Amino acid sequence: MHAWIEFGSGPLFRLCFALMLLGLARIVVLTIIGMVEAYLRNDDKIINWRELIGKTVSWLFPIAKLLKKRPVYSLVSFLFHIGLILTPLFLAAHLLLWEKSIGFAWFAIPQSLADYLTLIVIVCGLTLFLMRALYGPARAISRKQDYIWPLLLVIPFLTGYMCVNGRISPATYQWMMLIHIFSGNLITVMIPFTKIAHCVLTPLSQLVTGIGWKFPRGAGDKVIETLGYKDRPTWVEQPRLGLEKVTTVEKEAAEK
Amino acid sequence: MNRVRNFKLILWMIIGLGAAVATARFMFGLGAVTNLSDRVPWGLWIGFDVMSGVALASGGFVLTATVYIFKLDRFHSIVRPAILTALLGYIAVAVGLLFDLGLPWNIWHMMIYWNLHSPLFEVGWCVMLYLTVLLLEFFPVPAEKYGFLSKIRGFLTKLRLPLVIAGIALSTLHQSSLGSLFLIMPYNVHPLWYSPIMPVTFFISAIGLGLMMVTFESLFTGWLYRREQEVDLLERLGAAARWVFLLYLAIRLGDLAVRDQLGHLSGGEWQVKMFWFELVIVAIIPTVLLFIRAVRRSAAGLMTVAITGVTGIVLNRINVGGLVHINRGETLYLPAWTEIVITLAVIAGAALVFLFMAERFKVWEIQPVDPDADPIKMPEFHPVDSSWLGKPEIVARTKYSLGFIIAAAVGFALLSGEPLESRGVDPVPAQQARGGDTLWIDGNLDGYGVEFLHVRHWYRSGSGESCVECHHMNLPLDRNSGCYHCHSDMYLPADAFRHDWHSSPTGGKLACHECHQKGVVRAVESAKKCDECHNDLIPSEASIEVEQYMAVSYADAMHHLCIDCHTKEAVPRENPDLPRCTTCHKGQRDIIDATVLDSDRRNLTGKRTLLPPIHQE
Amino acid sequence: MKAILTDTTKCIGCRECVIACKTRYKLDNSIPRRWSAEDGLTARNWTSIIERPDSKYVRKQCRHCIEPACVSACPVNALQKNKDGAVVYDSSKCMGCRYCMMACPYGIPRYDWDRQVPYVRKCILCAEYISDGKQPACTEVCPTEATIFGERDELIAEAHRRIKANPGKYINRVWGEHEVGGSQVLYISDIDLSFLTYGQPLGDKPLPDRTASAMHAVPYAFVGMGSLMAGIGWVIGRRMKNEEGGKDKPEGEENE
Repeated sequence: MHAWIEFGSGPLFRLCFALMLLGLARIVVLTIIGMVEAYLRNDDKIINWRELIGKTVSWLFPIAKLLKKRPVYSLVSFLFHIGLILTPLFLAAHLLLWEKSIGFAWFAIPQSLADYLTLIVIVCGLTLFLMRALYGPARAISRKQDYIWPLLLVIPFLTGYMCVNGRISPATYQWMMLIHIFSGNLITVMIPFTKIAHCVLTPLSQLVTGIGWKFPRGAGDKVIETLGYKDRPTWVEQPRLGLEKVTTVEKEAAEK
Repeated sequence: MNRVRNFKLILWMIIGLGAAVATARFMFGLGAVTNLSDRVPWGLWIGFDVMSGVALASGGFVLTATVYIFKLDRFHSIVRPAILTALLGYIAVAVGLLFDLGLPWNIWHMMIYWNLHSPLFEVGWCVMLYLTVLLLEFFPVPAEKYGFLSKIRGFLTKLRLPLVIAGIALSTLHQSSLGSLFLIMPYNVHPLWYSPIMPVTFFISAIGLGLMMVTFESLFTGWLYRREQEVDLLERLGAAARWVFLLYLAIRLGDLAVRDQLGHLSGGEWQVKMFWFELVIVAIIPTVLLFIRAVRRSAAGLMTVAITGVTGIVLNRINVGGLVHINRGETLYLPAWTEIVITLAVIAGAALVFLFMAERFKVWEIQPVDPDADPIKMPEFHPVDSSWLGKPEIVARTKYSLGFIIAAAVGFALLSGEPLESRGVDPVPAQQARGGDTLWIDGNLDGYGVEFLHVRHWYRSGSGESCVECHHMNLPLDRNSGCYHCHSDMYLPADAFRHDWHSSPTGGKLACHECHQKGVVRAVESAKKCDECHNDLIPSEASIEVEQYMAVSYADAMHHLCIDCHTKEAVPRENPDLPRCTTCHKGQRDIIDATVLDSDRRNLTGKRTLLPPIHQE
Repeated sequence: MKAILTDTTKCIGCRECVIACKTRYKLDNSIPRRWSAEDGLTARNWTSIIERPDSKYVRKQCRHCIEPACVSACPVNALQKNKDGAVVYDSSKCMGCRYCMMACPYGIPRYDWDRQVPYVRKCILCAEYISDGKQPACTEVCPTEATIFGERDELIAEAHRRIKANPGKYINRVWGEHEVGGSQVLYISDIDLSFLTYGQPLGDKPLPDRTASAMHAVPYAFVGMGSLMAGIGWVIGRRMKNEEGGKDKPEGEENE
């Protein structure tokens, strides 16, 4: 048991943490490269930088926008995010681990505040899950990971709370700690590969939209015309092609 | 059809692993990631990356000589890849050297502090100059794609002959000087290898290796890109190479005969076997095979010869570079996996640049088609992201970067072990002192230790309850616990507290708050001291202040305890020899070090413990 | 030229010299590392006492050769022989190639394998003290005068005097008088000291001489090889021109 806990907080954590950091760096770099390429390819696009930056900043704090439309949802979501970010990073017990592994740490939040934040996260997480499951329009645009994530995020908070307040724990401290560590590792490693990647991609999303969609009128046709690709499918069109057309392209390629 | 892409993916993963190891190399020093030691200062990185790397890149000067000096124009089509291989090979050598040098940021000192007596100085300068020459020789190839560079290109093309001549002369110098490096070690290098004509043998084998390397590179890339392999040309190279190998064989054996060392050839030592193995694969097998026409004319045959010959000469460089040195004592150096990873990563990087150049510029007469750059290829569906990856370039980028980060993360996880944390100190469990009234104290059981007159010490310190003068902390329910119980490692501090026992269902079922205060972070600083519960743990008259939870190393504990008291007692007993090493270590071996009595604990404390370290003043 | 004479018959193995050396240069505590050699010399132990059978003690330290291989090998002049003859190390010049460690016939230089910024470490004959007319730390503290400091000529004379006075006691040899050109750390002994060079007898020829011939050949090899190549190229080019005679320009130069 103890060896597993050591493994989970030692090599396994380092693996997951390295994957998270590198993975996040990777998607940021890939996104920026893609944006630069798209921009260079269509440098006739009209991009209103002021508007874009303004939008980006306002979406970093979406609470004001959403408060009017869906006040309960936005409030719950906001609280959820606060607890989600503050607690793992500033919990005093975690900071000791930081100090042990990387040699330095930062200020901690009081234990009682951490306790309340944890409870808030648990409650908010469950609420978000229920709201998504019960609200028809939300359900319509939800994928599997949208349901799984709120529940998965709650697990380490729940077990962590039980570790600190052993009285309500259904199993021993070691079991709770084991689940806490392994679920935490799982979350860490999944961050860059799922929608949680919005933690670094949010500042870029408005920019991507801007570069992706602000075409001058009729630009697409002109591009195809200029390139002389009128009668030939290019890669841009490919995803929308029907099956028959795909096979013809492949046949053509094979014939060549 | 994805041969190229899979190959590149593997290369990227190796580089990712290498990136993790490189981080550890520069953060923790050479000792953390290599098996080098004071006895084996040069290892794989010098033997392979540098010495073999330079030799492997000799194809450049051999082929430029063939084409531009001897004017054998039929080889023209393989000159460009050979120059590119040489260029990248030398860059790889420089990069590999940066890992091996202890102070790589000082590498430029070679340019300002001249020591004309040092062969290494000469090698360094020649490599620098030849790298410049190679850059100038290769520059026209990428330049032909860009119109605005045509003037420089024209100028360099006119300069080609002088450049080629300079390149050959420089290569001659440093290929042979790599042999001169070892002339200064007549007593280290095994007599089967040490010879005053090492510069000559190094130069000749470099020519052979250059021919083999060109063959290998041409055949391999031909396979990779499904290009037509230039077997007819390579056959001629092979035909030339067999004479080089024969010459090499004759010189090696003739040199042994002249130096009267033939007697060494029959011994049973591993060095002798190594010598024969090396000679067989470096010269005998390739020569014999190359004299068979059918072998020379088949790609598979040429590939076999190339791989054998290249392996053999690389082995020769590694042998001379340190493996067969005599003065290494009993220790046999084998490279650590981290060393191998760095080596592979450097090669992988060079290979990637080669492929990049070959796909974009006219390195071969017929430029290979990059399957990733095929414009009519369909976008790929990515099952993990559940999204379309777009055009092939983007697919490649996505996959390579994924491979890179996964490999790097695995590297970080594998590296985070004891070898890094203990800084080269192997854990040595301390053993109980043995004996009765007289104890024999040698915690690591190496036979060297201290004969400790236990009863006399007890008697002299006042007998009776004077045990507590030394026995400062006991295990629960115990009266005089042995030192090794808590100071459980010879040279590393140890954890004297068992947390998992105190709160486990099989041990003490203590609730957290029984030791840790409520509302405070549960750490060792805020926890109860051991003796608050175990009130018999520390004797009341103990003369030593106990650092609870953490125990210093056995060696430190013993020295601290004994020497402190001996120093104090030296004055009243008027015996200045009392605190000296030899008072206790009588006629026995030095216990490595007895000067700094109290170890620098901050360097090591907490590295092997379950708990966060205790803060020390 | 200064020198140290160590008479192993007088050494009682008390290690006062080791302690004095470590104290003077504030060398860290050293514990057995994976990379330590078994003779006790480490980057933090510049001298050591080797125990031989029958309670014989031999002090090992840098021999300060008169023509040192390490000085000749160092490509950046980081190792130098100063006016007193001490082989001293300039850490600001060193680039860490460790050629000196390879070149030393006695296997003396040690390396900071565990440091981020590693240096070569060895005995420097207390260079800054002896230039002030003081003694090295080790000879200063030796309680039995087993290791003494003085002018090299006088010490060699003294060594021969001792051997002559006690022919049965000593082996008739002054170690360091002639080996590889002689050294400034001399030994007289009643036991064979060839274990200091791994059982190999050292010749009298200084090691730098062995590379010197190869190094002297460098300019000639460069010019020779260059002119040989130029000559061959010219001859072959001319012959090809003659053969092709009336035909067009020869291929080669401009064609590519």
